[in-house]
Amino acid sequence: MNAHEDVFRTLREISWLDDLDDANLSALAEVAGFRTVAAGEDVFREGAKEDFLYIVMEGRVALELYVPHRGRVRIFTAEPEDVVGWSSVTPVVRQRTASARAVIPSRLLTLKAEALRDLCDRNHDIGYIVMRRLANVVASRLQTTRLQLLDMFGHPDQGASRG
Amino acid sequence: MADVQIDLGATVILGKAEFDRLLARLRALGYTTVGPRVQDGAVTYGPVERLSDLPQGYTSEQDAGRYRLVAAGHPRYFDVTPGPHTWKQYLFPPRTTLFTLRRADRGWTTESRDGIAPRFALIGVRGCELEALHVQDRVFLREDQIDPIYRERRRRLFILAVNCLRPGGTCFCASMGTGPRVGGGFDLALTELDEVFLVEIGSEVGRTLMADLAWESASAFLQHAAAQGCERAARQMGRTVHVEGLPEMVMERLEHPRWSEVGKRCLSCGSCTLVCPTCFCWDTQDHSAVKCDQTRRDRVWDSCFNPSYSYQAGGNTRPNVRSRYRQWLAHKVGAWKGQFDTLGCVGCGRCITWCPAGIDITEEIAALQQEVRS
Amino acid sequence: MRVGATPSGARRAAVDRDALLAPFWAEITGIQREAEGISTYWLRFEDAALRDAYGFAPGQFNMVYLPGYGEAAISISSDPAEPGRIGHTIRFVGNVTRAVSRLKVGDVVGLRGPFGTAWPMKEAKGNDVIISAGGIGLAPLRPAIHHIVRCRADYGKVTLLYGARTPKDLLYTTEFDAWRKADIQVNVTVDRADESWQGQVGVVPLLFYRFRMEAQRSVVLSCGPEIMLRFVVFESRARRVPSDRIYLSLERNMKCGQGFCGHCQLGAHFICKHGPVFRFDDLEPYFDVEEY
Repeated sequence: MNAHEDVFRTLREISWLDDLDDANLSALAEVAGFRTVAAGEDVFREGAKEDFLYIVMEGRVALELYVPHRGRVRIFTAEPEDVVGWSSVTPVVRQRTASARAVIPSRLLTLKAEALRDLCDRNHDIGYIVMRRLANVVASRLQTTRLQLLDMFGHPDQGASRG
Repeated sequence: MADVQIDLGATVILGKAEFDRLLARLRALGYTTVGPRVQDGAVTYGPVERLSDLPQGYTSEQDAGRYRLVAAGHPRYFDVTPGPHTWKQYLFPPRTTLFTLRRADRGWTTESRDGIAPRFALIGVRGCELEALHVQDRVFLREDQIDPIYRERRRRLFILAVNCLRPGGTCFCASMGTGPRVGGGFDLALTELDEVFLVEIGSEVGRTLMADLAWESASAFLQHAAAQGCERAARQMGRTVHVEGLPEMVMERLEHPRWSEVGKRCLSCGSCTLVCPTCFCWDTQDHSAVKCDQTRRDRVWDSCFNPSYSYQAGGNTRPNVRSRYRQWLAHKVGAWKGQFDTLGCVGCGRCITWCPAGIDITEEIAALQQEVRS
Repeated sequence: MRVGATPSGARRAAVDRDALLAPFWAEITGIQREAEGISTYWLRFEDAALRDAYGFAPGQFNMVYLPGYGEAAISISSDPAEPGRIGHTIRFVGNVTRAVSRLKVGDVVGLRGPFGTAWPMKEAKGNDVIISAGGIGLAPLRPAIHHIVRCRADYGKVTLLYGARTPKDLLYTTEFDAWRKADIQVNVTVDRADESWQGQVGVVPLLFYRFRMEAQRSVVLSCGPEIMLRFVVFESRARRVPSDRIYLSLERNMKCGQGFCGHCQLGAHFICKHGPVFRFDDLEPYFDVEEY
């Protein structure tokens, strides 16, 4: 099985790509590849120019923010089938909003950001599916972040549950 | 009279001069007789020993947030509609000591409340109040849980009910089906005419008591006069409520804009719950000696308007007046039905009279019943 | 002194039907620190007959009494098959619980109970079970987990979704391995990580995205802050779990724990009697009414 078939097979198993037919999926596979990262290895750094969109296939990738005087603060972990690096595909935000680092050895599916954007522009079926998924990713992150902000497990004298 | 039998359910005449003997008989049987008296410008409940202790000649003017006792000069003793007191204080006392603990070598020893529960004879229970008592029976004496304090006092209770002939400005018992005629469940029920009492025998205890007094048979004419008096009273209610479908309606309108509106007027003072004959919420209070060698656990009346009522560490599920007023009303005429298979409100009107903001439950219900115009 | 029947059948309850709120006395036989501000207190009734006869079902609670301070409703967090040794995992947040935190082994507290409804262990037989807990919410679910471990064959796939504020706030971490060995999948997350945490970071509702469930043969049991419960319900229903297969444990200010005092009412329910464990369809009329 060649590299393209390998990528195609992996893409075919991702549930949120179910709506894409084989022809479109194959076009997507053209701009995709794999990357393996070791535990503790950076996937990308905050502020860097985006280059790939990542889908975690195995392992765990943490999103971290650098906070001066505190160091890197882990704010979220991406598990298998989660998307990491959505900023590479959104029209306006073009740099990384957080750093990504593998917590345990991980295998990622990579999609070349510029090529993916071009593909979405040319092929609106693919474009819609990808953007729809990204809208969900961002919405879900926002929801999670809001709940984290509310500090619902915080001591009753602090946090959101304060009367 | 000793030769003639009184039957259960019969109505006889008792001269007003005989009434003191009735009260004395009750006291001889071990009852503390309590009834209406004038005190501090209102009619309240307390010990009564003779007919002359009762508020003869008085009526009360009642409206939203208004109560005035008027010396009207008529000859009757039971014509004043109820004031701020209810009979529930005798079965569900405002404060009770549950137990006292004393420190022992390890832990504590318990001194329970001792003593036999008191026997009360309630003199002058109106239809709405009798119904309220039955509502409280459902609350405190449930099949799967019985309040032992209520149970012991209820067992020993004597009820002398009164058919109401002069309803008050805030009364709506007719709408609620609780008066002005009393329903069942009394020992004796009076209808007061100018010269005499008509007395209906409601129980064996009542019958035995009457048998010893100087009663006479009641003519059909007098009984008819009494019945007419009640019917007239039913048409003189100060307020009305449309009861049909009330519990379902209020439970469906928990987001009605009226709650915000009344929430601005309500002071959350809890007066309505204090004067309500069916409210049953209570709180516990722990009182300890300075040396910490003794502590007492009391049960006291509480109110859902109390801001700390729904307080839990760090939060309050009903943090504002709107939510607390809604809880009270939606419970009283809504959720109560699901809990006890009856409405909580008996139409006595006390909450209207004694609300310092003049909030009228019948008005609030009517506003909720209005279709919300979008 | 008379006592009544408990849902556990022949077991006795520590409830005096003739003396309202009268406490039964229990000695603290052990104190186990679980996390910052949270410890489990192991209690044993002083009366030997009561010790032998007391029993509870998973999800029920006792009223713990500290003379001079008052009572607190605390879920029972120990194994229902060992009712002679009653465990209460207590978070020190209020007047009474803060006083509890100053007690020592050998001290005596008042205890009344058990009260309330239980997790639907019988109804859930033959189904997959998803236990979704947040923070101290794992405490009233631990007896359910004990029961499942004991009767593992009665249930299908069992998944624990558990989250707390930080890794230091996770309860019962030393038991996770035993639970995994009993074929319970344990998925843990924290809202905020620390330097050493290698596990998941994110909120409990997110855990619903990280495993596959078969809605029609699943039962969801959940306990935690009410805001978390709202999202657990949302995620469960998004995955088509019907309302009569979702169970929540609710908390309200309780004074008597028996359905008398009125404090814990929610609509027509007394949470101490008709709850704290509710089937979600019984809560639906009230759940979305804010501040009710």
